[in-house]
Amino acid sequence: MICTRRHAVWLGGYAIATIASSRVALAHLSTTIEMRGSPRGERIWYDPIGIAVSPGTTIRFINRNPENSHTVTAYHPANYNRMRRIPAEADPWNSDFLLPDEYFEFTLTAPGVYDYYCLPNEMAAVVGRILFGTPNDTGWEGSSNDKSDVSEDVLTALPLVQKIRSEGTVRKEDGS
Amino acid sequence: MFGKTAIAVGFIVVSASTAKAHDELALANAPIGDPYVKVSDFLPLPEFIPGLGTLFVDSATLPAGPFLAYDRDGRLSATVYMTPFDDLQHGTSFDGLKIGSHTVSSTDIYFNAGHPGVDKPHTHVVLFHDDTAKERLAE
Repeated sequence: MICTRRHAVWLGGYAIATIASSRVALAHLSTTIEMRGSPRGERIWYDPIGIAVSPGTTIRFINRNPENSHTVTAYHPANYNRMRRIPAEADPWNSDFLLPDEYFEFTLTAPGVYDYYCLPNEMAAVVGRILFGTPNDTGWEGSSNDKSDVSEDVLTALPLVQKIRSEGTVRKEDGS
Repeated sequence: MFGKTAIAVGFIVVSASTAKAHDELALANAPIGDPYVKVSDFLPLPEFIPGLGTLFVDSATLPAGPFLAYDRDGRLSATVYMTPFDDLQHGTSFDGLKIGSHTVSSTDIYFNAGHPGVDKPHTHVVLFHDDTAKERLAE
């Protein structure tokens, strides 16, 4: 089960009120992942690229790349018939294209490893991984072993589960 | 006979020059008409992209373009080509591409990881049409 919402920060009062109320209601249980890019688009990445979250955490993806639009798309057959790389009990999500400063958020409820990608930038290995809960949780599903539906670059870019578990947050090593 | 041929050749040369001058004039200021359309009208991209400005393209020429880049005042500032590495490596060449203006003051060439419309990693070849064009397209 995944609850999703998609907003534009620049829409004005309504969006601001929504954000404010979310902050009040979800204090300590929300986290933000930014979509970032270098000025000329040479490099694009999710920041952080890997993160561990607790049950009930709302995850917000916001596009901080003024030159480009991005998506947050779960690897799942419902999204362009991709191989599933999220827990079987989880619903897939696809943010659609987010223009600069737009955001999309959801709350995960099925424990396990979630891999996602950016539709127009998967060929540049723009992917990310979320760990929700721990292997001790009932129904936990670890990372996918499939190597047929994603490129070597994507597999290399995805941070190791052990690294995310030990560090909590993983950013790209080049400092981007 | 020779005289008629010379006149015909002369007419073609004059006509071509006139057409070229006319095309440049038609493209000098946005908005421009068919076959060009504003990129942000059919792709999910910002209307003004910092560094590239407001882009117009003939969708039949994707991915290479030319993309015509206009500043915030609607002045043609650059012509941009986008050439995917994968296509080039597999034998595709992009030849005889059109140009927005025949005045080019400088050229930038750089890598781009992809965006809606040209999602393969590719090269941006940017021909600036005057000395301040780059600055005007920056923001």
